[in-house]
Amino acid sequence: MTNHWRDIRHADVILINGANPAEAHPVGFQWFVKAKLDPARGPGSGGGAKIIHADPRFTRTSALADIYLRTRVGTDVAYFGGLIKYVLDNKLYHEEYVKNYTNASFIVKEGFDFKDGLFSGYNATNRSYDTSTWAYETEGDVLAGAAGSTQARAKRDLTLEHPRSVFQLLKKHYSRYTPEMVSSITGIPVDQFMNVAKIVGEMGRPDKVMTIVYAVGLTHHTTGGQLIRSGALLQLLLGNMGRPGGGMNAERGHANIQGNTDHAISWEILPGYLRIPAPGQKNLDQYVAASAPKKSDPNSWNFFGTNYRNFMVSILKGWYGDAATKSNEFAFNFIPKPAANSSWMSIYDQALKGKMEGVILSGMTATSIGPDSNQILKALSNLKWLVVMDPLPTTSSEFWKAPGLNSADIKTEVFMLPTTHWIEKDGSFVNSGRWMQWKEQVIPPEGEARHDHWILADLFDRVKTLYKQQSGKFPDPIMAMTLDYKDPKKPELDEIAREINGKDLTTGKQMASFANLKDDGTTTAGDWIYTGSYTEDGNLSKRRNGIQDPTKNDPTGMGFYPTWAWSWPLNRRVMYNRASADVDGKPWDPKRPGIRWDGSRWQGDVPDYPVTMNPKDPAAWLPFIMNGEGVGRLYSNSMLDGPIPEHYEPVESPIPNPLHAQNSADPVAFLYDQAAGRPNRFGTADKYPYIATSYRLTEHEHYVTQHVPLLVGLQPQAFVEVPEELAKEKGIKNGDQVRVSSERGKLEVAALVTKRLGPMKLAGSDKPVYHIGIPIHWGFVGVTADREPEKTRFWLANALTPFVGDVGARTPEFKAFLVNIEKIR
Amino acid sequence: MAFQEKPMGFFTDTSICIGCKACEVACKEWNQLEGNPAHFTADSFDNTGQLDAQNWRHVQFIEQVPDNNGVVMTPTPIAGGQAWLMMSDVCKHCKNASCMEVCPTNALMRTEFDTVYLQKDVCNGCRNCISACPYGVIGFNEQQGVAQKCTLCYDRLQGGLTPACAKACPTESIQFGYLDDLQKAADARLAALQKQGYAKANLYGRDTKVYGGLNAFFLLMDKPAVYKLPNEANATLPSRNNFPGYVGGVATAVVGLIAGLLAFRNGRMNANNNSSTNPR
Amino acid sequence: MPPAEHFVAAPQWEWWILGYFFFGGISGGSYALGTLLRFAGDPRDERAARIAFITSFVALIPCPIFLTLDLGQPFRFWHMLIDTSGGGLAFKPESPMSVGSWALLLFGLFSFVSFVGAIAESGWLKAASPVARALRGTAGLVWSAIGMVLGLFICAYTGVLLAVSNQPVWSDSGWALGGMFLASALSGSAALLLLFARTRRDVDPDTAVRLEVADRYFVVLEAILIAVFLVTLAIAGTITKVLGVWLVLWLIVVLGLLAPLAMARWDVARRWPPVAAPLLALLGVLALRAVVIFSAQT
Ligand SMILES: Nc1nc2c(c(=O)[nH]1)N[C@H]1C(S)=C(S)[C@@H](COP(=O)(O)OP(=O)(O)OC[C@H]3O[C@@H](n4cnc5c(=O)[nH]c(N)nc54)[C@H](O)[C@@H]3O)O[C@H]1N2
Ligand SMILES: Nc1nc2c(c(=O)[nH]1)N[C@H]1C(S)=C(S)[C@@H](COP(=O)(O)OP(=O)(O)OC[C@H]3O[C@@H](n4cnc5c(=O)[nH]c(N)nc54)[C@H](O)[C@@H]3O)O[C@H]1N2
Ligand code: SF4
Ligand code: SF4
Ligand code: SF4
Ligand code: SF4
Ligand code: SF4
Ligand SMILES: [Mo]
Repeated sequence: MTNHWRDIRHADVILINGANPAEAHPVGFQWFVKAKLDPARGPGSGGGAKIIHADPRFTRTSALADIYLRTRVGTDVAYFGGLIKYVLDNKLYHEEYVKNYTNASFIVKEGFDFKDGLFSGYNATNRSYDTSTWAYETEGDVLAGAAGSTQARAKRDLTLEHPRSVFQLLKKHYSRYTPEMVSSITGIPVDQFMNVAKIVGEMGRPDKVMTIVYAVGLTHHTTGGQLIRSGALLQLLLGNMGRPGGGMNAERGHANIQGNTDHAISWEILPGYLRIPAPGQKNLDQYVAASAPKKSDPNSWNFFGTNYRNFMVSILKGWYGDAATKSNEFAFNFIPKPAANSSWMSIYDQALKGKMEGVILSGMTATSIGPDSNQILKALSNLKWLVVMDPLPTTSSEFWKAPGLNSADIKTEVFMLPTTHWIEKDGSFVNSGRWMQWKEQVIPPEGEARHDHWILADLFDRVKTLYKQQSGKFPDPIMAMTLDYKDPKKPELDEIAREINGKDLTTGKQMASFANLKDDGTTTAGDWIYTGSYTEDGNLSKRRNGIQDPTKNDPTGMGFYPTWAWSWPLNRRVMYNRASADVDGKPWDPKRPGIRWDGSRWQGDVPDYPVTMNPKDPAAWLPFIMNGEGVGRLYSNSMLDGPIPEHYEPVESPIPNPLHAQNSADPVAFLYDQAAGRPNRFGTADKYPYIATSYRLTEHEHYVTQHVPLLVGLQPQAFVEVPEELAKEKGIKNGDQVRVSSERGKLEVAALVTKRLGPMKLAGSDKPVYHIGIPIHWGFVGVTADREPEKTRFWLANALTPFVGDVGARTPEFKAFLVNIEKIR
Repeated sequence: MAFQEKPMGFFTDTSICIGCKACEVACKEWNQLEGNPAHFTADSFDNTGQLDAQNWRHVQFIEQVPDNNGVVMTPTPIAGGQAWLMMSDVCKHCKNASCMEVCPTNALMRTEFDTVYLQKDVCNGCRNCISACPYGVIGFNEQQGVAQKCTLCYDRLQGGLTPACAKACPTESIQFGYLDDLQKAADARLAALQKQGYAKANLYGRDTKVYGGLNAFFLLMDKPAVYKLPNEANATLPSRNNFPGYVGGVATAVVGLIAGLLAFRNGRMNANNNSSTNPR
Repeated sequence: MPPAEHFVAAPQWEWWILGYFFFGGISGGSYALGTLLRFAGDPRDERAARIAFITSFVALIPCPIFLTLDLGQPFRFWHMLIDTSGGGLAFKPESPMSVGSWALLLFGLFSFVSFVGAIAESGWLKAASPVARALRGTAGLVWSAIGMVLGLFICAYTGVLLAVSNQPVWSDSGWALGGMFLASALSGSAALLLLFARTRRDVDPDTAVRLEVADRYFVVLEAILIAVFLVTLAIAGTITKVLGVWLVLWLIVVLGLLAPLAMARWDVARRWPPVAAPLLALLGVLALRAVVIFSAQT
């Protein structure tokens, strides 16, 4: 989240797209309700915030929404694009904000182009873009600044008239997104869309603010990145970024998935979103030059780029200690430089190719997660060994029992390492609002369960011993790794938290801020964005000064509660908050201030800006200090699938893209099977006429709660939601057993017939189009499975999903694929 | 912090219930109820079914999504809490409690917080209260041989703790407190909804019209019957039938006795007259 | 008056309760008839009267047993009488079950004493002849009069017990149920006595004839109350609950009602074995209670 849960109560309008907070974030949803109940909020004369939920299914969130839009999965770019057009055409955007706080005025190089659904620089053979054609037009020579973090100044036209200005390019790009076009893509009737457009249009006023909330309903698409960006664009145009009650807010997943991401759970980054070094990068200079954002305006601080090297060196110093010296580039060469994509699906793709010997799964069950569970099962069967670290049996720790597999043929050796559950350990959760909140151990571990970090530490110790005894190809990184814990085999999470914050090696004191990190090897930081969380004052995530005493603990009255836990960066509660005030530092909305300039300092939230920098000073930094441009990006040349969001159909879609049938789906989406020389297994509308989407229910947490009897009682078995009209057509009665099949697999489950799903009218399809809803929670382990194994044979939702990923993170398309449905009995 | 000894209860605002069932689970956890054997009802998202000995809270799911006119559904009228109703049902802790009227053992008592509490150790399992409760709240626990229902967390209240269900409710759809405060909050909320044009919104059990008032009362978004709640006309106490029942009995008895006496007296003469004709 | 809405749960009152209602009715009814015969004051009816009192007590024996077995906590049957919550006696006038418990206890006493008296009069159990002597004359009449009131209460309150609830059918017919059960108890008991009268040589044949007449009156009374019952259900809009499969039981009820009448009208009846009609009547008594108890709870 750019903002945080509690802040949602400040919104006048709440757009919910690709999220179902009432079910997936029930506790966070209280803030939506508070906004709704607050008469001071809302469009027009107020009377309560308006919640607008766009979802193919009428969910428990829709039930409390003021406006529900039945939309088609994977089409939110069209929806937001339509809103962007409406805002541009009717000059409803926040002009001052757009001029000064976004890159609307930046001029793009000659040669940039968009035709028939393709941006310039497309290479069809390797399905990728050469993004150099998307660069800004520059003038003069490279700007001064930290090595590798600058470029020549980008040309700007503050009148926004220049035909190649970002603003004009946007206008041109979205001119195609007429209400009729939007309706024919999304299925939302024109009148309903216009009704929403009018409300959203009002949110460009400085005294109004709107938030957009999303989750994996936008990310689980081959177009995920652009789906989200299109919302962010709308927010920038309306001037809602950086403001309390505004922002682009991702509701995250597991209780600590935010912490996971920050600490580099995914392969392409190091902790703190530093890029993983790439092959060929011999030294820090090359690394920084290739990775750091580039300062493209003299008034851009480009804080991230400027400090890139400091952050990297501080990590290296923290990891390799004395072995990291100036002379050896602080052991830069110890860090692996992966030559091939190593994202989640790639691991199993490698296993399918027989290139993976073993896999360690921790806190996650590959079989159920999918996509394409049957193929994942094949992959697991291809391994020599599989280690599962989990407190409970999972569909992976027992994968050979999967229906359809003959355990006799499976050679994979499976090791189960019982770990403690998070409830059995202390440590911190980082919530969607970036709050790092410490938690205590609730119950002592049972049986032989061991903490994950102890298992890994012990494992590391044994590997190290083996290296000692037998040396090996490249022992240095292992040997040099610092583990200065009381007991290196049993590190305490508090010790690790301390280490992550980092310290000043000259004084031995904990660092207070990442601003002081250096590239001379005198500072450490395990993850720079957490520097400041564990200072000499101790572990700040343990702070609990909350609503016991609001006057004392919430001085601004804006719900920042600065001494409740700690939020990154630097305990800032609303990111980009410099943009919550106008050029002179006056809050856009005095009733809902983020920060304000009092003549000598910035007051309010922890400013996303130098605290004493006078905004009137001509040398003052631009508001978005993290970006190379210094302003919000309506146009981004760092996206791999296009600088401006464009609507593409999901890989499996019932209709050709009404905008450009010849390039219907995302041209750079990664098709694993094809790339690996396996046949693609995509279904077409003639065989699989219905759109399926998979999702969660309040009652279960994915797969794990299949072990919890009380929750199993609330939702005892697998089912699919079937629209009433379709059910009639198919002779399916409520509660009947049905078979749902895709090109990749099938489900055999009960049908829940409901009016909450229904038909929609789309371009290029004479018949009404239907969605079928598929909850993800069931499989062949758990209470029900143990009781009636026969019944649960075909309960893995991911048996249906396609083995494809988006171009960036390679996120699977869990949310949009084609199926057929038939009645069994 | 202990509670004052004055009427306490729940104001359940169904317009902000998200059907998360946290209340159901919290209740089971606190009261150590196992729940009935799991079974899929295919009745919207409700697999609990009813209030009974194992379920002292039950979240109802009522789908009334209007027909899709032609191809798309009209959104505005259906959103805003009227297309898919969710309501966390519970013992109403009636001021005039049907269950208390009939209980022969006085196992059902009124606490210092004006709530209705069922004493497990007094109850002998006659199940008369079950026949009486107009809301189908009470259930019979086969294992323990006693009737059971929501205690309004009497044990927690005595310790100054909020009831488990209210504590767990994320949206404060279940509000716990002193009845007078709750009633004020409810009136304000109803006014706000009516201002927003929700004509059907109504308070159930807030005033004395049903059972002299309910300590656990509700804000509903539709007619009470939709939520399986008897309307004012039907919210009647069992004891209403005591008088007519006995009067009918006495009247019949009198007629019966007279008839009997007549038969036995005149019957004699008749018997004489035709006794001769009677073959023996 | 709008049709009643019911959202109650079923108390699962089933076979034990049915059994109790039946025997309770027969016991109370028989006691009443015994008393009436004494009041009618014809010495020739004395034999039948004794049989009535004996029948009453014998029929009463299963009642407390059935009731206790129906409890979830049988060993707490005494909680009906002793208040373990507030202390003192548990007596709640507004609770038919509470009142009924006390009535059953008292009636048990009267029924027992009259029973002892009856067998003593019959010449068995010499030891008890003092009781018999005490019960001769006005003292006896007063005693049995009080016993009769209690007996009739037992017959009627079972109906009120059902009515004092919020169950469909039961609570929809407040006026009729008590009377209906009482009437059918009288007709059933009359039928039973008739059966004994017919099968025993020592009973004066005229007594039998008079019992027949009484039975006919009771049947008419019962029929009227059943009609009232059905009408009230129709008004409440819950009549459908007692139809459908339950028509089978109603058929038995009707046969039970017609039997004694038929007996009077056509002398086909004469060709029946003398016990057929009374047995049918008794079945009718059972069926009537069954249909009321079970239909409401399904
Ligand atoms: N109860 C519960 N809560 C959870 C979890 C759980 O398992 N159970 N899991 C946690 C985790 S790990 C995560 S990631 C989050 C996920 O949180 P959410 O993303 O909110 O959960 P989902 O149910 O996956 O999807 C949300 C909604 O997106 C809709 N949707 C799908 N595709 C589209 C689309 O293209 N456009 C639009 N507008 N809507 C679309 C679906 O119909 C669904 O209603 O939940 C977290 N919270
Ligand atoms: N079709 C489809 N597929 C999906 C999704 C979808 O929407 N549709 N959603 C995707 C998303 S967003 C997610 S996050 C995944 C979720 O998929 P998973 O993360 O696999 O789901 P969980 O059941 O939450 O698995 C958590 C596991 O961690 C274990 N665990 C708990 N605490 C600890 C601990 O402290 N240490 C260790 N080692 N283990 C622990 C639990 O026992 C449990 O087995 O599913 C993905 N798959
Ligand atoms: S499960 Fe935990 S993280 Fe999810 S909503 Fe509930 S409290 Fe929040
Ligand atoms: S709701 Fe039922 S159980 Fe609760 S107090 Fe009222 S009558 Fe008694
Ligand atoms: S079951 Fe228990 S609580 Fe209910 S009426 Fe009988 S004794 Fe009273
Ligand atoms: S008050 Fe206590 S007993 Fe009653 S429903 Fe809530 S949690 Fe359960
Ligand atoms: S906990 Fe609150 S919101 Fe959730 S179901 Fe219960 S009442 Fe509704
Ligand atoms: Mo997730």
